[in-house]
Amino acid sequence: MRPPAAALQAARRSARAHFTDPGKKRGLLVAFEGPDGSGKTTQRKLFKTWLKSEGYDVVTTKWNSSDLIKPIIRSRKQVRALSPEEFSLLHGADFRHRVEQIILPALWDGKLVIADRFLFTGLARDVARGLDLDWVLKLYQPLLWPDLVFYFAVSPITSGKRVTATRMPNFYEAGQDVTDVEDPVESYQRFIARVIREYESLALIFNMITVDAEQSIGDQHRQIRELFLEGQRRPWSAWNTDAVAEWLAGRGAAK
Amino acid sequence: MKASKAKLVSVDGVDASAVIAAARRAIVRPGRGGVSHWDASGIFQDLCVADAEAGAPSARTLLLLYAADLAFRLRWEIRPALAAGRTVVAAPYVDTAVAFGRAAGVPAGWLTNLFRFAPPPAERRFVTTTRGAESGDGFVGLACQQVHGLGRRARRRLIGGAAAHLRAEARRQARRSKR
Repeated sequence: MRPPAAALQAARRSARAHFTDPGKKRGLLVAFEGPDGSGKTTQRKLFKTWLKSEGYDVVTTKWNSSDLIKPIIRSRKQVRALSPEEFSLLHGADFRHRVEQIILPALWDGKLVIADRFLFTGLARDVARGLDLDWVLKLYQPLLWPDLVFYFAVSPITSGKRVTATRMPNFYEAGQDVTDVEDPVESYQRFIARVIREYESLALIFNMITVDAEQSIGDQHRQIRELFLEGQRRPWSAWNTDAVAEWLAGRGAAK
Repeated sequence: MKASKAKLVSVDGVDASAVIAAARRAIVRPGRGGVSHWDASGIFQDLCVADAEAGAPSARTLLLLYAADLAFRLRWEIRPALAAGRTVVAAPYVDTAVAFGRAAGVPAGWLTNLFRFAPPPAERRFVTTTRGAESGDGFVGLACQQVHGLGRRARRRLIGGAAAHLRAEARRQARRSKR
């Protein structure tokens, strides 16, 4: 079962050849990141509709949505039973499962994958909960870097206004597990300020494309289209070799 | 706080029933200690009833889930008992998961980071038999059944690899304690 070093090496070569073949339409991974209430889901939907009209084969994956892990997380969130470590590890498992079951197979088939939240969501929220960035980042290894990451920047006040305008934030969304504030709205305001601070650092470190999410929906959408058309011509990132190779070697071992 | 007599003992192995028996033997004074078993959080129980169409998890996914379960055990079972001055036998603890991960080809550095939150045990014990794991008992047995739909031979190799890693770890520990 253990992928021998030779098999892993062969899988690396295969990954590089597959994603750098000029005769093949290569898969693209585009991530939409940002705090709740930043309007990224609206933009993701508009972007997907436009891509389809342009003839792209699009696959969407959302945060915390794997059929295998999501029910486990949901039942534990309902009883408020998660510590920051458990929260982080379970979301890491959900992400890993989606990378292996949805994202990599789609990229391998030359599709365009839109991720509504990516690993940066885990990093921002977990660090805002007091966990160590280095520990959390390594949980997500082997790292798979998107071709483009759009970061939808809003202030904590705007995020709070948009989220609480229609509903009450839930216990973990409001960070009540770490703020010890009883009022969900007040807790949300405190917690989202921490999350946004982490996001802003991550946006700089990981070279995300910042979209001013306080602009009109139409302006943001036009900007995303333009940036996508420029960015999609970037070459495949060799940083992704290990992630693809491990997935390929795992598939080979199973066969 | 009676933490001075508190002691964390780990019992690791792929043979689940032998691990449980060894854990019971490790408690010298039954009234002053207890055993923390894996899947106290019920994560793996939930995983077993998941729809097959959800897709088989990889070794890394299973290890992340094992770590989440261990974080739960530390919070609710191990740390409170240690704080009360008791002996806690964690059966299994970190070494079993590391052995499974290494046998599945997961890098050692990733495993070390994953379990960084777990305190080192005062005493480590190893069970080196493999009986039971092939029928799916214990973490390694269950993980081998779950991981990416492996065939019987591949499962046997994986169990054998994990057991070999634990034997090597037991030998290393024996050498260290002789010095």
